Amino acid sequence: MADSLSSKRPLSPHLQIWRFTVTMAASITHRGTGVVLYGGVFLIVLWLIGAAFYPPLFETASGIVRSPVGFILIAGFVWSLLFHLMNGLRHLYWDTGRGLAPKTATMTAWLVYSAATILAALILWAGYGGGA
Amino acid sequence: MSTKGTSTFIIQRFTAVLLAPIAIWFLFGIVSALTSDYATARAWIANPWNGALLGAFLIIGAWHMRIGMMEIILDYIHSWLKDVLFLINWLVALGIIVASAWAIFHISFAG
Repeated sequence: MADSLSSKRPLSPHLQIWRFTVTMAASITHRGTGVVLYGGVFLIVLWLIGAAFYPPLFETASGIVRSPVGFILIAGFVWSLLFHLMNGLRHLYWDTGRGLAPKTATMTAWLVYSAATILAALILWAGYGGGA
Repeated sequence: MSTKGTSTFIIQRFTAVLLAPIAIWFLFGIVSALTSDYATARAWIANPWNGALLGAFLIIGAWHMRIGMMEIILDYIHSWLKDVLFLINWLVALGIIVASAWAIFHISFAG
């Protein structure tokens, strides 16, 4: 009885049922970039431990960082930090009860994606000595 | 448990506010620091401003990361595995705090 009833109960709406919106994407990306930063900080601490105590570990970390794979890792980390930083400010603004109207939230979501991409390009260009 | 959620919520916002300005500094310096050689990297970390800000970023960041990852674990893991992951998450945060403080201190003062 209980089984046949529960099998007929509707499930709560899940990811695939919603129309895709930029605000929803920004929410998912905020969580995703948080995970990327978790991993990135872990690797930076290994690099730091190498610099302080184990030169061979530093050379391994440095070798990876300076390879093409390292460029992708650094670019991903920088973009993620910029996105998480600016979307975090968006969250803090929401915490004050403002900026929650759908039009405003949609606009600021696009703004965060665009600014993160432009600033990441500038920081990578400068960080790799593009300005020197 | 019923009162802990509010303090966790507040600590996550508080660490976010502290991290925002430090993250801007971090973004300016980290790419060239990470791609520099051993001696240059150590000299960059040994600079008192860089050492203090890098330490603050990693230590406050470790706590912010721990809370964020805890929320993700709470959302998706509902078995005994949850407690194991909580423990690992704690150890990662503590490890980052101890290792970064120790490493920066060592580079700055122990040569």
